[in-house]
Amino acid sequence: MRSRLETWITAVPNLKWNLDELFGEGDRLCAQFTFTGTHRGPLRDGRGNELAPGRKALRIRGVGVYVVDAGKIIDSSIYSTSAPSEARRGRRNSCASPTPGQPRYGMAIEVRHLTKVFETGRRRSLRRVEAVDDLSLTVEAGERVAYIGPNGAGKSTSIKILTGILHPTRGEATVLGVVPWLDRRRLAARIGTLFGQRSLLWFELTPRQSYRMLAAIYGLDRAQEQARVGDLAELLEAGDLFDLPVRNLSLGQRMRCELAACMLHEPEVLFLDEPTIGLDLLAKQRFRELLVRLNTERRTTIFLTSHDVADIEHVAERAIVINHGAVIYDDDVTAMRRTLLSTKLVEVGLSEPAELPTIAGVSLLEHSATAMKLSVDTTTTSIRCVLDTVLDGLPVVDISVLDPPLEQVIAAIYARPRR
Amino acid sequence: MTGNRWAGEAARTAALRVLAERGGLAVTLVFYVLVTVVLASLWRAAVGANGGSVAGYSVVAITWYVAMTEATTVSIRQRLISDVGRDIGSGAIAVELLRPAPVLGVRLAGELGHVLPRLAACVVTGGVLSTMVSGPPPEPAALALALPSLVLAVACNLAAQYAFAGAAFWLRDAGSAWFLYQKLVFILGGMLIPLEALPDWMHRVASVLPFRAMSYSPARLASGHFEPVLLVEQAGWLVLLLAGAAAIFRAGERRLQVVGG
Repeated sequence: MRSRLETWITAVPNLKWNLDELFGEGDRLCAQFTFTGTHRGPLRDGRGNELAPGRKALRIRGVGVYVVDAGKIIDSSIYSTSAPSEARRGRRNSCASPTPGQPRYGMAIEVRHLTKVFETGRRRSLRRVEAVDDLSLTVEAGERVAYIGPNGAGKSTSIKILTGILHPTRGEATVLGVVPWLDRRRLAARIGTLFGQRSLLWFELTPRQSYRMLAAIYGLDRAQEQARVGDLAELLEAGDLFDLPVRNLSLGQRMRCELAACMLHEPEVLFLDEPTIGLDLLAKQRFRELLVRLNTERRTTIFLTSHDVADIEHVAERAIVINHGAVIYDDDVTAMRRTLLSTKLVEVGLSEPAELPTIAGVSLLEHSATAMKLSVDTTTTSIRCVLDTVLDGLPVVDISVLDPPLEQVIAAIYARPRR
Repeated sequence: MTGNRWAGEAARTAALRVLAERGGLAVTLVFYVLVTVVLASLWRAAVGANGGSVAGYSVVAITWYVAMTEATTVSIRQRLISDVGRDIGSGAIAVELLRPAPVLGVRLAGELGHVLPRLAACVVTGGVLSTMVSGPPPEPAALALALPSLVLAVACNLAAQYAFAGAAFWLRDAGSAWFLYQKLVFILGGMLIPLEALPDWMHRVASVLPFRAMSYSPARLASGHFEPVLLVEQAGWLVLLLAGAAAIFRAGERRLQVVGG
């Protein structure tokens, strides 16, 4: 294993390297190494992307991961490099995020065959629970993804693995090219997390005082901190809240300040777990708009977990549904309704009371003197056929065809078996 | 990875929180004055009944002794072990793992920032009270040594409490550890009784345990005993306790990463 690595790394001249850790079982291993040195010519990572394009010589330092199977490197990633001027500014800069507003390309999250088994009980009554079971998914940088599933589906466990809090039992995952459980702190500098139930702010203090502490943790100097707080005040329209004690803020106001707290270090990926829980309707709406704005203006990847269907509908472009620890659905949110349910709703406005003729596959949901609501099973009868019958046989003044509510769609997905 | 500015900021933020909660600080001071007055009165009566000295402590010395032991105890957040244990057991600590700074380091710096303003308030109040009731400090040079010793004492206490609280990574409930710990500091730490007044065997046991560094050492200095070696001993215990707490948290975090919260 070591000689294989040596062969590969020595192909890049002038580098000193060190194998730090080796994980895995049998032939399948994951090796983490650090390297330093001066590299001349274009330097590419494991996926062929050129690091620091245009530089003739590059003083580099970083960490790499190789996944090795039966003595062959089947995957590799170098997730930290530093140029001379950056190196002088310290290690943090080696993983600094792109300038705000700059597009972010590539894969934000890659998960392959991830499995987490918890063992509970004592030796004789040992029980194995597969919280995550062979989970595979990818999220591209800049996507807005809803990661949903019923309680106990494995969402929290997989998010804990992706943020580095938890080791998986098997499988591979990278977030921004970093293996989370191997280098949790380095990843923490590049991601933001907001868990609806847990505050990032101190109640006795003002948000601005809390931001100063958080900025120090994330290695920002005072000038950077002040610039970013000012920037976020403008973006989140929350500048007037930053100098009030947190305890005096409403929940909606506090959540805007919490969002600023988790955006302070300009994370490339934002993990949000039930961020709108407890907010009133207007506050929820505003919070969702802010998330979309963050994504569109800064290209921050949004990975959102929520049981609130409106969060999914208004924030996410794509939905990944998991149940029993595995992905059971992964597609655009807009496609969910259309492709998943064979039911359409037809709302009909009438000029005078009328009775609905019998049509196969159509059931009457609501009926009044001037309106009726029909449910159409499109596998039995086509919408065109229903519309023709209704328009010919009833005194129609208005008619509309609707998709069923998203709740109904999601409930149908939850009920599906694993793929 | 991020330098150590977080340590200063964590302490500063915690100190700001204490100062923002002036009501809480006032209640702490009232409690401190009450306990100090009661204990000092009891000891003064005992010293008076014993011919003006108990275990080498005069009335003035014992008053300063009590004022300093109480200052080190009252200034630290009560039930800290239980609170930290609950954060670990409930998984709340996981959020702190999502930051690029060591959980224990940030927490300890924060606790120190929380303690120092309270300690300063208690020491000033205790000094004024002792001077008014019994007289000025018996040995100003020793009192000067007591000031850094007080800081070392609370630092040792915090490090030890975090080491105890770390048990929650395995036990899920460190509440019972708090009860045991508190009694050890009260008796073997010299908080209730100067160690010289304990039976010989107990004094010998106390002299090899870290608890005396948490309360006895600054009180001994403030009561007029110029013994710089106590500071060296405290510094040694602090290094050991910090190393112990760090090792426990490292192991605990690894366990949390493997078995979950």
